[in-house]
Amino acid sequence: MQTAIQPDNHHAEPGKVRAALFALLIHLVFFGLLIFGLNWKNEAPEATIVELWQNFAETEPIKTTQPIKPTPPTPPVVQKPEPKVEPKPQPVESKSPRQPAITTAEPSPPLRKPAISLKAIKEKPAPKQTAEKPPEPVKKTVPETPSDKDIPQKPVEKKIANTQATEQKKQQEQERLALKAKQAQILDEIAKYKAMIQAKIRSRIVMPPDLPGNPVVEFRVILLPGGDVLSVDLRRSSGFTVFDDAVERAVHLARPLPLPPDPAFFREFRDFSLTVYYRE
Amino acid sequence: MNSTVTNDLSLFYLISSASLPVQLVMLLLLVASFFSWWFIFRKLFAIRQATRQTDEFENAFWRGADLNALYQHAAGGRETVGSMERIFEAGFREFTKHQPGVEAGIIMDSTRGAMRAVYQREMDKLESHLPFLATVGSVSPYIGLFGTVWGIMNAFRELSNIAQATIAHVAPGIAEALIATAMGLFAAIPAVIAYNRYASETSQLATRFESFIDEVANVLQRRIAQPRNPAGHL
Repeated sequence: MQTAIQPDNHHAEPGKVRAALFALLIHLVFFGLLIFGLNWKNEAPEATIVELWQNFAETEPIKTTQPIKPTPPTPPVVQKPEPKVEPKPQPVESKSPRQPAITTAEPSPPLRKPAISLKAIKEKPAPKQTAEKPPEPVKKTVPETPSDKDIPQKPVEKKIANTQATEQKKQQEQERLALKAKQAQILDEIAKYKAMIQAKIRSRIVMPPDLPGNPVVEFRVILLPGGDVLSVDLRRSSGFTVFDDAVERAVHLARPLPLPPDPAFFREFRDFSLTVYYRE
Repeated sequence: MNSTVTNDLSLFYLISSASLPVQLVMLLLLVASFFSWWFIFRKLFAIRQATRQTDEFENAFWRGADLNALYQHAAGGRETVGSMERIFEAGFREFTKHQPGVEAGIIMDSTRGAMRAVYQREMDKLESHLPFLATVGSVSPYIGLFGTVWGIMNAFRELSNIAQATIAHVAPGIAEALIATAMGLFAAIPAVIAYNRYASETSQLATRFESFIDEVANVLQRRIAQPRNPAGHL
């Protein structure tokens, strides 16, 4: 009896190894699904953040160039590299074949600007300088055309040309003044909102009573575009942790902080230091 | 007071940052899930093979094959033999062991008993590991739930130290905790489905075996009543 059953027991379980392999495969598929499913969700918010920064960088140069040039506002970005490159081929036209590479290399820096926000603050004067350059070639070309004409023609037209030139100069001066005024306005706006932020935080501070002297505390505050507070780091303690904590709490209570409606100004407020005195 | 919002929520980060009980629960569920799938496939192959062999043997039996030849094939064959064939083999062996003079009732009783014994053994083999599938199916959701509850408890306990609580503080903890539930369900659902299916299939096979035992007993009884049929035809 037993001798008959023994060999059958060996045959009883078909494909143990095959079953184990199938089981392993199913688990690998399951974990693959889990991993890829979660990774997709992770990358989505990052992409939206990148889009925000690009928007800021695009709006910024347009606003600074607008007062300078009456000509369409968007072209200057494209025109900038052209006047720089044009003078080069005139003296050295024979070496031209490699120059297209230089022209492609030059326009690339303005494209890199939107990548990092902190650098963008330092580069702020740069677009103004480059924006002021384009009018210069225009200056040269405009007076040159009347001068070509006035050699054969009457001296009266010289005066007209002169007056045209002076008018243009006046216009440019006016534009510069307007630009300065605008910048001053921007500074005013920034100062106004900084004061508003300070006031809002100040109003939320529950001052600890009876501290000696006039302690000062300094915080580094990083904001999100909506005015929400991302982080508050103590930079210089007042020496009284009660006071430090009160101010830190007030910063969190004051959220969202007032920000100018124009998103272009946000870079001024993204990362700022907050100084609070115990007595005003 | 670093309220950074950016959190790496990849699966490995979540699992590695989970607390020890949650990790243990996940490991337990992973092992249970692996074994349940292993048994699912083993049972799938085994039951499919048993059904096929039963079909083949039943066909051969009812086509009117020689009982002696069938017995020789079952007893001597080194190749795989189905459960039903083994039942028949045991019964026929018991039947032929008896001397001709023995009373018919005793012969039939012992034959039936031998077939019953093999039938029980075969059913045991077919139903093996099914209780494990049932256990995984019913218990692993609770184990997963335990891991989740533990993880969420910790997430909220850590929250109590933070003055301004946002969803970002709780989210990683809850996400990591929910992985335990997901794994529990992943282990349980196939186990329950497989258990129900295999239980019904084995019970079908069991009824086939039982009716076959009765039929073989009837055939053998007829042989006792008509002993002049030496060839053993039905």
